[in-house]
Amino acid sequence: MRDFDWRAGLARLGGLWRRSLQLRTVAITVVLSLLVIGVIGAYMAISVGNSLFDSRRDQLLSASSRANVVVQNLFNSSAEQSAASEIEGTTYAAFDLVSRSNATTGGTLIAILRSPDQEGPRVPGDLASTSDTIDLINPELRAQVADSESGDRRMYWQSVSIPAENGTIDPGIAIGSALTIPNAGAYELYLIYDLSDAQQTLDAVVGILWFGGLALLLLIGGVTYIVVRLVVGPVRLAAEVSQKLAAGQLEQRIPERGEDVIATLARSFNGMADSLQKQIVRLATLSQIQQRFVSDVSHELRTPLTTIRLAGDVLYDQRDGFPPATARTAELLHTQVERFEVLLADLLEMSRYDAGAVELSTEPTNLVHLVGDAIESVSAVADSKGSELRLVAPGGHFEADVEARRIRRILQNLLSNAIDHGEGRPITVYVDSDSNGVAIAVRDFGIGISAAAMEHVFDRFWRADPSRQRTIGGTGLGLAIALEDAALHGGWLEVWSSPGQGSCFRLTLPRERGGTLTSSPLQLPPAESEPPEGGDDV
Amino acid sequence: MRTMNARILVVDDDTALAEMIGIVLRTEGFEPFFSSDGSEAVDAFHRTKPDLVLLDLMLPGIDGIEVCARIRAESGVPIIMLTAKSDTADVVKGLESGADDYVVKPFNPKELVARIRTRLRPTPEGSTEILQVGDLVLDIAGHEVRRGDTKINLTPLEFELLLALALKPQQVFTREMLLEQVWGYHYKADTRLVNVHVQRLRAKVEHDPDNPRIVMTVRGVGYRAGSIS
Repeated sequence: MRDFDWRAGLARLGGLWRRSLQLRTVAITVVLSLLVIGVIGAYMAISVGNSLFDSRRDQLLSASSRANVVVQNLFNSSAEQSAASEIEGTTYAAFDLVSRSNATTGGTLIAILRSPDQEGPRVPGDLASTSDTIDLINPELRAQVADSESGDRRMYWQSVSIPAENGTIDPGIAIGSALTIPNAGAYELYLIYDLSDAQQTLDAVVGILWFGGLALLLLIGGVTYIVVRLVVGPVRLAAEVSQKLAAGQLEQRIPERGEDVIATLARSFNGMADSLQKQIVRLATLSQIQQRFVSDVSHELRTPLTTIRLAGDVLYDQRDGFPPATARTAELLHTQVERFEVLLADLLEMSRYDAGAVELSTEPTNLVHLVGDAIESVSAVADSKGSELRLVAPGGHFEADVEARRIRRILQNLLSNAIDHGEGRPITVYVDSDSNGVAIAVRDFGIGISAAAMEHVFDRFWRADPSRQRTIGGTGLGLAIALEDAALHGGWLEVWSSPGQGSCFRLTLPRERGGTLTSSPLQLPPAESEPPEGGDDV
Repeated sequence: MRTMNARILVVDDDTALAEMIGIVLRTEGFEPFFSSDGSEAVDAFHRTKPDLVLLDLMLPGIDGIEVCARIRAESGVPIIMLTAKSDTADVVKGLESGADDYVVKPFNPKELVARIRTRLRPTPEGSTEILQVGDLVLDIAGHEVRRGDTKINLTPLEFELLLALALKPQQVFTREMLLEQVWGYHYKADTRLVNVHVQRLRAKVEHDPDNPRIVMTVRGVGYRAGSIS
């Protein structure tokens, strides 16, 4: 689980990295600045440290040199005193003198040591500030000092680490020089200075460098952020505006400010938007003219058609009194006017869909009742063809939010087709529902549709078999309109067919308006759709 | 019978259609009169005093909706609109301006005659002469609705709608039931007819049409009469 969270966090960060140009730019700038500032800071810390050490060392060397002279003079001036005890006393006096003269530097450790490998009495003995002092003096340094001549007053030094009382280790410098004590031999004077004050200065400098470096880094980050914002801001605005444009808000424009490259971008973008808007408005106007034309044609055609219809019906009602030929003429006029009317209605419906001028007005509708009504309305035709209509409704006895007029139209179309192509065998209508949707399937056991023809069943004016006689007189637009009606509800209209086995059209609708379908409550074709017994005999 | 020689005013600018409608109406025993212009239609209405008006919505001069509103302003005579469009806002506008019913072109003679006869049929006689809904009194024989001493003017259709609800005060009427009982539709028809006329009726009989007490809405089902107060 934790591992997963970690991965998810990483993925989110990766996504942010890819998406945000601003984050990328700022991050890269900060990382590069960090490298440069780090190198410069390290260099500065080292060189400041070195020069601090050098100047302190030179100062201490000269102090040591003075101490050497003072001590040597002291010994020289008491050269006549040869008694061992006197020399011992002079050594203590020299020790005090050195420690007093160096008291200002603080914490100075002093040692006067007898150079090794000498003949004669070992007086005076080794003298040191503390017992640890001698341990601090490196043998190499002692060797160097011992080998030098006391007369040239050469100073030798070495860095040492002085353990402090609080357990830390302070840096220090041990400076050694040769002494010659008359009547006693070669001695060495060591002064060990504590450099912790210089270290503190260096620490302070490094601290300032850290602070300065971090402040500089923050500044660079901030400046980069602002600069990138200045550049990315207009680009982002342009992206937002173009999205809005694409979404149909044609009046959206980028504000044009200044004369810079961003302003040029804004101007050319707005120019593009202007010409797009003009084109779209022109097309929309054309489409409106087209729609208006269709609407006008509808009205203009319907009025004379009404007159023809009324006239035809009046003649048709009186056909019994006409000679046979005239009576038949009246009959033909009657049926063909009806056909023309249906065709006109379908054409107008289709053109409404093409113009996008269709609105769905749903109401709670009981689909089983609706299917029952639709079956009843075609039962007379079904009887004349010998097809028995059956309703199997395991579900769907609730109210679904649909436009009943359109669903009824789809059903009438599917039922008419099933009767037309059902070869007089029984036709079953299934209704079922689940939590998401409701499905209606119309299953016939007629001639079926070939695979090639299946691709065209929803095409306009396409006919399965031009030679087949049509009883219900479809317009050739029925299934195309049914498909549009289903799509308008957010539903599906699908077909299954097998030559010789019959066909099944399944309409699936979402239970509520605006719902989305993921599956249909009914199989295609429904599972229990066995060929009816003795169907061939009908 | 009143319907045998009922006078019908046909307002349509298409003379061929008007003439053809005239032929159909005469065959059915009505007496048709004609007007082909919106601006003359109201005069023709005054002159002919028809029992019913057939009104085309698209007219030269004043349009059909305006003519409908003007006739309705002074008379409750049944108005049936003739319209070429069934699904546009025109139908609702026509109904809101007072039309009782509409027929979509192209219609057949039987359809037209059935619609006319429904609107001209006499109000069904109830066993009682006086009915009460809320604080209203319905005088069935006198075709009158009173609140206290004030008479409320309802069109015959509105009266019939209120009467249908009042005769069975316990019953909830679906829109389909009202369409069958008041408009004579035996198949699924446009429920906007009911909605619009209930609104018009409420505007006349309710104290507060937004909070109806006479024609109550039963959510998801339909309407019923308010209880007697």
